[in-house]
Amino acid sequence: MSEFYPAHKNKLVAIFDKIILWHTAKFFGFLIAAFLSFPKRNRMSHDNGIAGLGNLKIVDNPEFPEHDFFKAGRTFPIRVRHATATYLDDAVNGIRSISLKFSQHHFKSPFDIEMNTGATTLFWSAKSFLMFAKTRKEKYAVCYVDYIKKYPQGATGAIGAMRRNPSSFTNLKYYGKTPFLFKGTDGIQRYAKYRVVPEKEQLETGLQLNPCDYELPNQRVAPHEKNGRNYLKYEWEDRVKKGHAKYKLQIQLVTASHDEDPEIFNNMFPWDERIYPWMDVADFEITETLDWKESTISTFSVNNMPESLGIIPAKSIYDYNSLNYMRAHSEIARKARLLSLKIFGMVPPIPNNDNRNNEEWGK
Amino acid sequence: MESTSVKQIIDECKKKTRIQYTNKGGFFSPKLKSINHLEVGYSKIISNPLTIFLERLYVVYKNLRNWFNSVKERWFPRNPEIVGTVKDAYLTGVISFKEKSDVRTPIVHMKVVFWARTKLFQWRKLAEGYTDHEGVFNLPFDLRAAVKWANRKNLIFEVEEIDSIYFDKNKVGHHNYSVFHKQTFPKSDLIGMGYNLREIQLDYWNYRTDTIIPRTLLKFDNGDTIQSYTQGRKDALIEQIIPIELTKLKHLLLIKEDSDKISHASIQADYPINLTQCIEKELPGYTRGDEWFGERMMNGMNCGAFMQDPENPDVYMIKYFGLCNYDHNHEFALPDVTIYFNFNNKGIPIPFKIKTVGALNAINKDQWQQREFTPADGEMLWLAVKRLARSVGNVCTEVDEHFVGTHLNVEQYAIATFRNFKHSPLSILLMPHMREVSLINEGADKLIIKGFLPEGTALNAKGLVKRAKDLLGMFDWKSWRPMKSISEDHRYAQAENIFFEVVENYVNTFFEQNLKGIISHWDEVYRFSQDLVNHSVPVFLSDVDLDALPTNERNQALERLAYYKFQYGFDETVTREKRNNQLKVVSPITHKTSISAEDTEDINNLKRACKYAIMQATFMHTWINEHQYDDLGEVLYSCGGLRFGDKESGVLVPESDLSIAPNLTVTTQQLWFANFLSRTEYGFITKNEDGDVNPIFTELLESKRADFDKIGVSIDDIESRTNI
Ligand SMILES: [Fe+2]
Repeated sequence: MSEFYPAHKNKLVAIFDKIILWHTAKFFGFLIAAFLSFPKRNRMSHDNGIAGLGNLKIVDNPEFPEHDFFKAGRTFPIRVRHATATYLDDAVNGIRSISLKFSQHHFKSPFDIEMNTGATTLFWSAKSFLMFAKTRKEKYAVCYVDYIKKYPQGATGAIGAMRRNPSSFTNLKYYGKTPFLFKGTDGIQRYAKYRVVPEKEQLETGLQLNPCDYELPNQRVAPHEKNGRNYLKYEWEDRVKKGHAKYKLQIQLVTASHDEDPEIFNNMFPWDERIYPWMDVADFEITETLDWKESTISTFSVNNMPESLGIIPAKSIYDYNSLNYMRAHSEIARKARLLSLKIFGMVPPIPNNDNRNNEEWGK
Repeated sequence: MESTSVKQIIDECKKKTRIQYTNKGGFFSPKLKSINHLEVGYSKIISNPLTIFLERLYVVYKNLRNWFNSVKERWFPRNPEIVGTVKDAYLTGVISFKEKSDVRTPIVHMKVVFWARTKLFQWRKLAEGYTDHEGVFNLPFDLRAAVKWANRKNLIFEVEEIDSIYFDKNKVGHHNYSVFHKQTFPKSDLIGMGYNLREIQLDYWNYRTDTIIPRTLLKFDNGDTIQSYTQGRKDALIEQIIPIELTKLKHLLLIKEDSDKISHASIQADYPINLTQCIEKELPGYTRGDEWFGERMMNGMNCGAFMQDPENPDVYMIKYFGLCNYDHNHEFALPDVTIYFNFNNKGIPIPFKIKTVGALNAINKDQWQQREFTPADGEMLWLAVKRLARSVGNVCTEVDEHFVGTHLNVEQYAIATFRNFKHSPLSILLMPHMREVSLINEGADKLIIKGFLPEGTALNAKGLVKRAKDLLGMFDWKSWRPMKSISEDHRYAQAENIFFEVVENYVNTFFEQNLKGIISHWDEVYRFSQDLVNHSVPVFLSDVDLDALPTNERNQALERLAYYKFQYGFDETVTREKRNNQLKVVSPITHKTSISAEDTEDINNLKRACKYAIMQATFMHTWINEHQYDDLGEVLYSCGGLRFGDKESGVLVPESDLSIAPNLTVTTQQLWFANFLSRTEYGFITKNEDGDVNPIFTELLESKRADFDKIGVSIDDIESRTNI
């Protein structure tokens, strides 16, 4: 039995699986680059965001096994970006994110990690992600109708991940969801999941308390909504100015085993916190926010990681680890966007106007 | 005439005209020499080359079809093993009864199967399971086995129903499943984890919403079909109906084209000879006599309910209620009739007075006019009034007892059975007796209720439906008992009692053997009971304000209620439940969704309801059904309605006056029906053509063979289900 997600028993099929996975990842990256990143200067989903700079310090007494990168007391200058997925309107019912970079450069970094709200999400493999993308039919902020109907985890993911009108980016919990490698100084192979939580325990806002099956795909700004298109970004700017943007980076570890149930890699099943407790990795604080231009060129990548903390190898498009495999192979899209911004100029900031429930930028 | 020789002649005729069945090929092809050929051979049609050609053609078709099916089975078997190793994905959804209500009723414990077919059309089972209490299914399967290249593009999801029951060597019953609903989806839709087929609404054993009578919805809009006749039943029907169908067609053609060449006599002669004609040949006049009249009222198709006259214990009455204000035409007489009997020394009821209420001619149509007739009125009148009484009795027996009391009554138990019994052993007990009744009732709607009866009797379709609803309001399992035998010649009641004893032993034994399973799936019994009660009709007259009726109508209604209570063993004092302010006729079996062995009242209720349903579907139906040709196979002797004619004498004239007899079309139709219904029986208990009769039942019945033989009843003639 493999340490990772098992390859197909039939060797020929296994080889074929690998070829398909490689082609799928490359082709998808190319498609995004060719039709979205380059011509439209867009990210795949998280265009609506704001970045900031700050400092991070690895905890002094780590509870997790010793690791060369996460050395106790080590500090890093960091760049962080918060975003609302898909829509250029903070007031939609949407997924919120934090991306963390262990450097203040917009691209280069020894360690990047991207996280979204919710302990689970709407897809769990390259295959499911492609279906998620394929069935997307956006219309006035209603989007994944078919997907959520057909796939029960699409529905539970939508309930778990979307936040309506959170009061601040800083009181949400953000989960990396997919596991990564973790090989400490003891040489034992482990798998790691990351999350970012507020510095002090507080009530998470924006949760969906009474989700309705057929309303799940509806992300529209609620009727009579007072919050504006940029309210969360504005709130974060004010908060950073006051010095109230403090977070914790946490880690959950599972020791690798040869008879592991492959479902351990499935990001739809959070690891049981009673068995695999969250441990503090670092505390970090944002001290200044960046302007629209800097926020827009801030780019994060799963490839920005030390080898011992990198992505878990994937065997096929059904392998749960294929999500990170695809992310790793979409570097071309990130580069295409930055190149396009250089050539064609900056995209305009999101106007604070009444153009709601519309995917378009609006004037 | 010596009574022994009369008896000999009758027995001989019964033997001669008895309908028997073989399994061998076509029954009328001379070469095959089957038994029925001898009788049907009286008809000229039978040796007609066209008949023989059609029959041969059907046999060829049947063989081809069987060959094709066996090839399909052999080359493309539905392998029962589930393929794949890990179960890393699942198929889910919910199955519910299609209905208008906002929250649909789930179909519980329904079998669901998930298939792939390879590019070489081989079946690969990916998963199977059952819906839960909410109708939800969840089928874990191996994702890679489902999406593999060798599989065809679409995967198949099937909802299966219990199609039939079979018994193994150890006499244990099992289910045979067949596909009820099928849907496909592309394998490329599968991405791991769950795949949701969402709510699948099925017209599965649904109740019709266009009638208050609990009827099965047999019209489907998406290709699904519940239960069909077994192949054997279909074959038997087609093979046996070809000659009588051709006979009727010839008559209808002649009536249209060349009516001079056709008469009542020639039509009669084309159909096989029946019991009364046979006896008439040997004993002219006997079948029109008092003894035969009483004998048939008691032990023939009518199997009448003899009510003791409260004022004179030696006198018994049979009452037939005619028009009763139901919608009707004005061509046929259908008065209320009360027949008064004394018993002779052989225990045969002899009629001595007949009272009629209602019109007897076309001139005076007063429906409350009363007449009284006795043999003292002269032979002609007495013969005529007996003939009239027979015709009213025929309508009441066919409509009230046969169609409503057995066919419709059983259908409500059939729907509730097929909707609810899936895991419970009761599926094994009830299904063999409940199958096909809904199908034949659908046929009866078209052919009989909307077809023959409005043309051949005084009642029209609207009146018949209303009458059916009223009568069904007298049938409940709770207080029913078999008829008491009131004389040594009361062979019908004696047979009914012996048979009920068999049914009781059968059900009791079954419960002893399966009590644990029945209790552990009691939720199915609860829903069975709920369906029965919720959908049953209101108790007869419970929804009528009697005080608002005119006196005559009110008295008639009360007289009917009193007689029906006696006739159908109905007890109005038992506690019944109301739904939508209607007092529902079928008593609830249980109010609990789970029970223990200590809940004897609930268990006993269930036993009694099962016994009742089985009894009605088997003996009660067979008796009337199989005697139809004996008692309705000679049109001038007995028919569904005598026409008023245009004379003042009305219906009270001799048989020779054809102006009151059914017309030629109705004549051939009546004989066609009597043949069709009595002659195409299939699904006998002892013969067990479809292998679904519980061996316990057969053994118990066989142990009573001699007792039945003694009273002239052959257990081989009793059907296991109501299907004709
Ligand atoms: Fe029948």
